[in-house]
Amino acid sequence: MDPYEIEFIGENRIISIIPNFTYDKIYLICGEFGPFRAGLPMNVPLWLALMLKQKQKCRIVPPDWMDMDALENIKEEEKRSRFFTKMPNEHYMVEAKLILGAASEDVPNASEIKTVIKDIWDIRMSKLRTSMDALMKSGGGYGRLDHLTMMEINSVKPLLPAAMDSLLRIQMKSKKTTPANLNVSSFSQSGGSSQNI
Amino acid sequence: MDSNEDIYLSDNEEEITAEIVLKTLQSAWQNERLAPEILPHRSDMVECMLGQLQHMERNISKLPKTDLRASIHKMEISRIKFIICNYLKIRLNKIEKYCIPIIKDERQRTDSGTNYLTPSEYKYAQEYLLNMENHMKNVILNKVPGNMQSFDMNKMAEHPNLQTHVFLKAHETVNGVVLEDLVGEDEEIDLEEGSQHILQYKPIADLVKNGKVQLV
Repeated sequence: MDPYEIEFIGENRIISIIPNFTYDKIYLICGEFGPFRAGLPMNVPLWLALMLKQKQKCRIVPPDWMDMDALENIKEEEKRSRFFTKMPNEHYMVEAKLILGAASEDVPNASEIKTVIKDIWDIRMSKLRTSMDALMKSGGGYGRLDHLTMMEINSVKPLLPAAMDSLLRIQMKSKKTTPANLNVSSFSQSGGSSQNI
Repeated sequence: MDSNEDIYLSDNEEEITAEIVLKTLQSAWQNERLAPEILPHRSDMVECMLGQLQHMERNISKLPKTDLRASIHKMEISRIKFIICNYLKIRLNKIEKYCIPIIKDERQRTDSGTNYLTPSEYKYAQEYLLNMENHMKNVILNKVPGNMQSFDMNKMAEHPNLQTHVFLKAHETVNGVVLEDLVGEDEEIDLEEGSQHILQYKPIADLVKNGKVQLV
């Protein structure tokens, strides 16, 4: 999948906004949202939040996890753990990018938060590369990847499945040739025995 | 994501909500996008959603152009249309690419009533194959010696690679998925609810089709 498609899927997540206008409930296909009351927080899908933000009709409430202390903890935890830790959000990267891109003034310490999220991403990606390397070296055709987010999975997508496909093909080739080798050896044996006679 | 209650409603066709239809459609699109072979069609969901969109568009046209609601609804409609278009397009691409095996399999499936293609997709596949055959004949086959003129479908066929590796997330716990090992030692694994894996497509193809796992 292309990154923009992952972003598209991530945009369906619900986040909190504070509208600056008042309006009735709106009945969308993906659910009903509202009523909009100026100054009162409410939940909408991310795409709608961004659209309203662009029209300067709302302020985005940063999600709970988008907080310096929480993120520092996650970063430490991620460094300490051998495995991938559970992220606060299935689409943390998409959400962070979109919210910080469109509404950085609504997030306190936006630039620090950006850095720490990038750090977390980097730690996880390097972990992912190490585990991919281990997986390929063990010659395995199966791996478990709990707690990886969609964007992270997608970032290794052309490479990892293709490498595993190739590995499988090589294994199949070598398997096919093994019985042939056996035949050859048995043939030479029988040839040898016939010589003895 | 408070759809647990609504899911029970989906047992009853009458009461299925537009929200559920959208979710089903989105997961069908994602699966179709990532699976190597063509999956059973969800034209019921597509039709239902298209009807809903038409209804929505009619309502919007009644609203004044500057109305905020109109632009919100339009945005949502474009998003859903994107999913539907992309979904149908991927299916057509697969039909064109794997035309010959798909038609062959589909004939058997139609007999047992478990067809994967919609009637119009099936027609498209057949016409595509016919056009390809005619094209081959016109361009080359009719101009070569008689003993080489036959059009051999099996030689032309391109098959999806079912052994390719895919990423998946388990919607519910599935125990004892057997991974065939080339050495002859079959490995058995359990997919726990919510866990994610990378493995060969073939052993889990049926789980994708009955919705127990989601490709990611």
